[in-house]
Amino acid sequence: MPIRKREEEKIIEIKEERRKKERNFENLKEQLLSSSASERRWAARDLAQYKEASQILLERIKNEEDVSVIENILSSLSSIRDEVAVKGLIELLRSENAYLRNAVIETLKSMPEEVESYIEELIKSPESDLRIFAINIMESLRHPKVLKWLKEIIENDENVNVCSTALDLVAEVGTEDFLPSIEKIKEKFSDEPYVQFVADLAIRRINEGKNSP
Amino acid sequence: MREKTALSEISLTDEDFEKFREYFYRKTGIMFDESKRYFVDRRLVERIKLTGHNNFKNYFIFLRFESTGKELQNLINALTVNETYFFREEYQFKCLVKRVLPEITSHKKRGDIIKIWSIPSSTGEEPYSIAIYLLEFWDDIDKWDIEIISSDIDTNVLEAAKKGLYSERSVNNLPTEILKKYFNRTGIGYYRISDDLISSVEFTRVNIIDRNETKRYRNFDIVFCRNLLIYFDDASRKVAAENLYDAMNPGGFIFLGHSESMSRISPIFKIRKFPEAIIYQKPLEEGR
Amino acid sequence: MKKVLVVDDAATVRMYHRKILNDAGFQVDEALNGLEALEKAFKDEYDLYIVDINMPKLDGYSFVDKLRNMESIKQSPVIVVSTESEEKDKEKAYEVGANFYIVKPVKPDELVKYAKIFTGVPL
Repeated sequence: MPIRKREEEKIIEIKEERRKKERNFENLKEQLLSSSASERRWAARDLAQYKEASQILLERIKNEEDVSVIENILSSLSSIRDEVAVKGLIELLRSENAYLRNAVIETLKSMPEEVESYIEELIKSPESDLRIFAINIMESLRHPKVLKWLKEIIENDENVNVCSTALDLVAEVGTEDFLPSIEKIKEKFSDEPYVQFVADLAIRRINEGKNSP
Repeated sequence: MREKTALSEISLTDEDFEKFREYFYRKTGIMFDESKRYFVDRRLVERIKLTGHNNFKNYFIFLRFESTGKELQNLINALTVNETYFFREEYQFKCLVKRVLPEITSHKKRGDIIKIWSIPSSTGEEPYSIAIYLLEFWDDIDKWDIEIISSDIDTNVLEAAKKGLYSERSVNNLPTEILKKYFNRTGIGYYRISDDLISSVEFTRVNIIDRNETKRYRNFDIVFCRNLLIYFDDASRKVAAENLYDAMNPGGFIFLGHSESMSRISPIFKIRKFPEAIIYQKPLEEGR
Repeated sequence: MKKVLVVDDAATVRMYHRKILNDAGFQVDEALNGLEALEKAFKDEYDLYIVDINMPKLDGYSFVDKLRNMESIKQSPVIVVSTESEEKDKEKAYEVGANFYIVKPVKPDELVKYAKIFTGVPL
């Protein structure tokens, strides 16, 4: 039979020559700057074992262009998730690179406890983009305060796009106690068709649920 | 057993259903159309009750914001049927033989090995299907050495896979000649796969989201990872995709289940369109 | 009937665009990020892409960039629709090959007008 099976040790060959170069912190740090994307990716992956690696991973990600390396760095930062990692990720929300910015948003979505205080800061940021990103993080954030934050935003934020982004989420998760704020926001942006559309949708969904047994 | 309450006490409005299916689609890639409404409603109402909620709205908030994310996993289990049988989604095997293997071998030289990873192995239907399909339908099979490794996290299914005993239902999709050629009937309604096939697949235990355990798996040209990633949360799914990527050779191909799409998991793979299927590829020009 | 692919991660935005465009006689398909959009564009032919910028997995700029480098995909016009309102954002979009840029929030008349212009439907 042409399909053959080798002994387990042989099958699962580890390309030892390359990995043999001891994969200690200093060497991995060096390999994170290698000219081979594959070497950088493996370094990023293996650096997750080192608590002190957050800073160098964050430095690398700013200049990294290979998507597979960026994604591995983000996974490693997510696995280390110390203060340095979380703070650094939050700072990356200001990156000019739209792909990176959004990959960072996704990473932050999986760290509910760690991002709580940052979300509270971000939703008060003077930059509307950052307020929008904060809402984007909330989309899948498993945190009990999400509803409270959303309500604060639609009650107080003056920017139409920030409010619209919050309403997008309210249309999915809004409860009866959102109704007065939604009515208010409809008045506030009475000449914005999108706000009217999504507010009406949210109201309809909330009310329909109310009447069902 | 829990106290039996009539399922009809809780119901979903059209808006609830719309909200739910949008969310579920975003998380899993599975889109329920109106024809599935009854099925989805029933299962949802069951989960609403089992989790101690009294209406869809409360349950939906629990589902989305509860800290462990376990309920989404439970719900996915309730809403999907993870059946495994021989030649399941056969068009993918066709694509493997007609398009993928010729491309893989064009970058190889005589004597090189073609490595295939089938994960999850479950009880063996998939890796054995691959072996049979190659033996039956790939003309170049005699020119190359092939290795099939199949892994699962569950050691019980791995043991079953190594025994190779299958129910009638499981082999139902196989053409009669193939069934006769590779299986022996044992007792009532059971089929035992041939020793040759059993010895052609190596079964191993691995947790695909473990970045350390998966390190040993390298140099695969082809990966089948069907209907597995769907059961993980977003972050684990992404790590699994990265681990699979690292396990593959540049230019290697990965098959997902037919309702799964890499577009909701990770951007690291290239999309390749073939007449039979969309498949994902690790870029060929990737750094060493 | 002209076929439009609406690409946005917000379901409500997709619903809004779908309604506006359907009412104006377009056929509409949806994708929830740039990667899914590429996958759909591989399988199907679209006369116009309406694309958000900030999306998970693959952002709008990268989508347009990849699209413009794929010969096997129909090279239809792209209208970017984004909350990002600075000149540099627009420039970046045009640089990768977008054809028009609309800043959110979107007015239905505006969307329909440019959808028609770029698909050659009489206004």
